[in-house]
Amino acid sequence: MSSEIDLRATNLCKNFDNFEAVKDVNFSIPRGSFFSILGPSGCGKTTLLRMLAGFLEPTSGEIEIKGRSMLGIPPNKRPVNMVFQHLALFPMMTVAENIAYGLKRRKMKKPEITKRVESALERIGLPDVGNRSISQLSGGQKQRIAIARCLVLEPDVLLLDEPLGALDLKLREHMKIELKKLQQAFDTTFIYITHDQSEAMVMSDTVAVMNEGRFEQVGAPQDLYYHPQTPFVAGFVGESNRFSGSVVNREGETVEVITESGQRFVAREKFDKKLNSEEQVDLFVRPEMIHLSYEKGDKSDNNLSGQVENILFDGGNSRLLIREQVTGAELQVVLPQTQAFSRVKGGDELHLCWNAEQSHVYRSGLAS
Amino acid sequence: MKISTGPRLGLYLLLTPLLLTLALLILFPHLEMLNISLRERISYGVYKFSLTNYGEFFTEPLYWITFVRTAWMSILTTVITLLIAFPVAWYIAKVARGKTKGMLFLACLIPFWVSELVRTYGWMILLRETGVVSNFLQWLGLVDGPVEMLYNDVTVMVGLVYTSMLFMVVPLITTLDGLDDSMVEAAYDLGGNGWNALWEVIVPYAMPGIVSGCIVVFMLTLGNYLTPTLLGGKDSLWFTEQIFTQFITRFNWEQGAAFGVLLLILSSLIVWLGLKLSGQSFRDTMSR
Repeated sequence: MSSEIDLRATNLCKNFDNFEAVKDVNFSIPRGSFFSILGPSGCGKTTLLRMLAGFLEPTSGEIEIKGRSMLGIPPNKRPVNMVFQHLALFPMMTVAENIAYGLKRRKMKKPEITKRVESALERIGLPDVGNRSISQLSGGQKQRIAIARCLVLEPDVLLLDEPLGALDLKLREHMKIELKKLQQAFDTTFIYITHDQSEAMVMSDTVAVMNEGRFEQVGAPQDLYYHPQTPFVAGFVGESNRFSGSVVNREGETVEVITESGQRFVAREKFDKKLNSEEQVDLFVRPEMIHLSYEKGDKSDNNLSGQVENILFDGGNSRLLIREQVTGAELQVVLPQTQAFSRVKGGDELHLCWNAEQSHVYRSGLAS
Repeated sequence: MKISTGPRLGLYLLLTPLLLTLALLILFPHLEMLNISLRERISYGVYKFSLTNYGEFFTEPLYWITFVRTAWMSILTTVITLLIAFPVAWYIAKVARGKTKGMLFLACLIPFWVSELVRTYGWMILLRETGVVSNFLQWLGLVDGPVEMLYNDVTVMVGLVYTSMLFMVVPLITTLDGLDDSMVEAAYDLGGNGWNALWEVIVPYAMPGIVSGCIVVFMLTLGNYLTPTLLGGKDSLWFTEQIFTQFITRFNWEQGAAFGVLLLILSSLIVWLGLKLSGQSFRDTMSR
């Protein structure tokens, strides 16, 4: 991967009448990387992608691909191609005709087109489907054909608009890995938009978390997960127990927070520094960061006891819903699939603990 | 045994009305028509098998010229209707949204609430020598005297296209509705221009709708009697008029029946040819 920049957006804005869909977005994507834009529906990610593809003109700001401005250039003249949400394969053409469509538009000679289509089919691992019609393909095959149809044109940037959304879970898991491999095999810059954090985290080199038209945080998946910079990212990426409360005490970077239901937690400041006493804060603790035990311990910064209210069984992803003894507040904790907890049942008393740095605390009111 | 024949009997009973309709209203009259067309009256109540009626058609130029003319003008009407209906259908299916869409569709439908006869008289009120258009042109001073706009081929064509419009618009809207907008966007995104998007994606996608619309419009036009007669007058030379004349005016049922059979063969042949040329199968088209 070279450090050359394939796509750069500067101060990108898009307004629809009075509604600001994209607000002052800046990013640059190095060549050959997998960049995801993650956000809830309605956050403006589709608008952003359509601006990159050329279907929408930005209200203000600049889009550059390999240093060349894309403003005013129609979609058929841009070195970007798009894999649509519902793929938009042409049903009246065969697989080979679908892939050849873009090459034909470039006035390429027939034998050359045939050769390239064959090699593209080979590279996506479907060498014999050229003569089939689109309706004869399975969901996963269609995905790969849609991607091949774009990649055969050797675009500088490939845009993907949640193409895995319509697949069932097993196939989606499989296609995540497949997509990542394809991206590495073709060494093309991918921009992938999704509302599914797992898709974004598994595949991407860099993820941008988008909310209400803005980028909240851009970084590697690990960064977003371990060091969320805003309460939105902390809540959106991964699961979290969220508490609202106010600061009662601080010692250096460690603050003590009392929640609305009266729990006392200790947390370390990370991004929002200098939290003052009485200040309203949001505190996040991931269910997988909480340690469970049958015996009471006091080695950690936060120690609680509670009763198992419910077991939310989901295989390796199972949770316990625990009601805290003193205040009656509810917490979600990951149920470890180890011998020790194999016989947990409703009503059992358990002890929970975690350290100050394992939770995130933010000033509330900055963002939802 | 009872179990296996039970449902089958039920099926036949359910099918009976349909089969009766098909047999009595379509198959039987056509067979009888064929039968009549293949006989010659020798004397009162005495007939013999003969091909004279068909021979008459090929030897009398007026007959086959009318025949070819009708076929040609029907094809032309179908093409013109398609060219006008396609943008209309595109607008209703793809551009218009919500209430406007419904209103526009209704606007296409409303003229069909009155009978074809009344609609055609409406055209006559507009186009005759003392009609609205003629008076308006005189009032503007563009012409000196009254203009007769009825009784020519262009007027017949206008009338036929107007009458056929709905039957083209409806199947087109139905197919175009199913066209995903992103497919058109993909056509652009992959390097195509508007022309490519239209001919490589939109038209092939809409082909079943286009073909079924064309078949219906062509059949209706070919078999139309009212519009060519009223708007074209005596000289309109429409083949259905010839059939009417043979049956009613000249009371020559044998000749009329032969013409009827020929018209059926002609329409089947042209529809078959159209399907072949557009690469569509009849079953696919009709199942849409």
